[in-house]
Amino acid sequence: MIENKNEAGSRRVLLVGDTTLDPLGRLLERGQDNLLLRTSAAPYGQVYQILLDATHAAWAFQPDVLVVWTAPQLTLPSLEKLLRFEFDSTAAVHEAVLREAEQFADAVLRAAGRVGLVFVPTWLLPTHERWIQTLAWRHGVGITNLLARANLLLAERFSGLQNIVLLDAGYWQASLGRPAHDPRMYAVAKILYSQSLFEKAAAEMKAVLRGSLGLGKKVIVCDLDNTVWGGIVGDDGADKIKLGAPDPVGECFHQFQVALKALRSRGVLLAISSKNDEQFALSVIDQHPAMALRTNDFVAWRINWRDKAENLLSLAEELNLGLDSFVFLDDSPQERDQIRRVLPQVYTPDLPTSPSDLAPFVSSLSCFETTSLGKEDLERTEMYHAERSRKVVQDVGGDVETWLRSLDIKVQAAPLRRESLPRAAQLLNKTNQFNLSLRRLDEKTFWDWTEEPSHAAYTFNVSDRFGDLGLTGLASLSFAGSHAEIVDFVMSCRAMGKKVEEALLGYLLEQARMAGASRLTASPVDGPRNGPAKAFFAAKFCDGEWAIDPARVGVPPQISLFEVTLESESAV
Amino acid sequence: MDELIAILDEIRPGQQFSGAENFFDQGILDSLDLTALVAALETRYNVFMDVDEIVADNFRNLTAIKTTLARKGVKL
Repeated sequence: MIENKNEAGSRRVLLVGDTTLDPLGRLLERGQDNLLLRTSAAPYGQVYQILLDATHAAWAFQPDVLVVWTAPQLTLPSLEKLLRFEFDSTAAVHEAVLREAEQFADAVLRAAGRVGLVFVPTWLLPTHERWIQTLAWRHGVGITNLLARANLLLAERFSGLQNIVLLDAGYWQASLGRPAHDPRMYAVAKILYSQSLFEKAAAEMKAVLRGSLGLGKKVIVCDLDNTVWGGIVGDDGADKIKLGAPDPVGECFHQFQVALKALRSRGVLLAISSKNDEQFALSVIDQHPAMALRTNDFVAWRINWRDKAENLLSLAEELNLGLDSFVFLDDSPQERDQIRRVLPQVYTPDLPTSPSDLAPFVSSLSCFETTSLGKEDLERTEMYHAERSRKVVQDVGGDVETWLRSLDIKVQAAPLRRESLPRAAQLLNKTNQFNLSLRRLDEKTFWDWTEEPSHAAYTFNVSDRFGDLGLTGLASLSFAGSHAEIVDFVMSCRAMGKKVEEALLGYLLEQARMAGASRLTASPVDGPRNGPAKAFFAAKFCDGEWAIDPARVGVPPQISLFEVTLESESAV
Repeated sequence: MDELIAILDEIRPGQQFSGAENFFDQGILDSLDLTALVAALETRYNVFMDVDEIVADNFRNLTAIKTTLARKGVKL
């Protein structure tokens, strides 16, 4: 399982293939960042033996992640025949290849239960295999057509299992701009792929792993002048900046904004840090006809003459997110240098110098990887806007209790269901601050765990009069006789500061009691950033013990807690 | 030479490359490192090693690498 043994713990990756994959292993192990990998490349050419036999020596490595990277012409013997034109009927060859693909899929599915995560790069033919391009895509005849069907077959067969990720090797190859296969290295050491393809594969596998471990980025803070538009609006004037067609440079900046907007629409938060006059800059954003981004696409901004590091710190505080989830985009090398020196945890890439490269650059960033795409992602910016409205009311209202009452908070508790599993797993893996145990589990492992009779998991949907915060809480219990242990207690930072955690704990205590547990305990993990969770639980324990003191727990009167059962909805 | 050492260091960090007689006999590099080294040199110097040139002897120490590159017109 992909469990975090603490954030810095290393994960073990087993490489299985029909050619030498050791170069991939070396590249995966390289790097000094927060993702440490140890790899073991099994002897090549034993794919089926390893996948089907749980007692094979390769498994002694006890991998967390399994990579199964095969070449279609080696693993699908009938495809090799089609490639070499050694057949009587193309129809029969096509059928045989799909049968062989089924067999391969079955073997992967069998092995998937032994690890937390499986990576299967899609099948790829070397570009030097031209075959017969006139027929390549013809149904029932062509090799390109057949390979696409075989890859689709894998996608269909793996669709039921969340822990198998089919990686798009065709995308790797296309993005290289140089050969993905190296016939020389195959002759020398049975290394089928070029070093550059291995580099791309390692980078992509790391990006996907980071996403599934909650190490992805969440916010882009961008500069305005010469970043989202060409020119300096304060000097040039709103009608003179380069933005939008027919000016080609203006079109490039417009396309850059379109690319940023696509990220915003999939759940990445956008913010601004710019040295400008705030009112003027905001009016340009909302009124310039070629702006693809408007002020409501940004969750926050610092448009002022202050130091940018200071602005980033204050944005992190406002958004309640760690700086290590920030990406900073600025055309000025000096500003970038300063952020890199002062705030090294912020990802500050060099921006391309040509405006035409800006949109492709931002669209190719791999740091926003997510394992699912749900309502919470698609509506994230709107949720932050609702949060801003709440804060405004709080500032006006002054008294916290009155403010909380005015919010009309509703918490809906429900047992974890299949439908809510993707979001629940996302919350478990991405939450750093209000997280009791920092347990990181993929969907399958988490679901299997909750299915055990002595375990129970609950999800919490929070809403108030400003809007729906979505599924923002997750908790689980483990029962042993009259004792219940809180294993997971996770709350999105969006819900923090509203006493929602009190309602969650109140609900858990009630659940524990109903299951016959008279003692409820919790053991907060000492993580680098889960201070809020540690502090919350520290105030709930009986003196000197890990046991929750029931006298210190209760659903706050300002919060309405509902319990959603399978069919009905009833107030607790 | 410093450039070569930087390339080698990227492949196997923390090894004593300068002064070594034979990287492969001395266990500083292995056959997989050889393929990575060839790829790195090709990218850095825009050269192409033919399959019969990808043998340990051509890359056994700094001088040998320099000679191999010189054959391709790269002067270090």
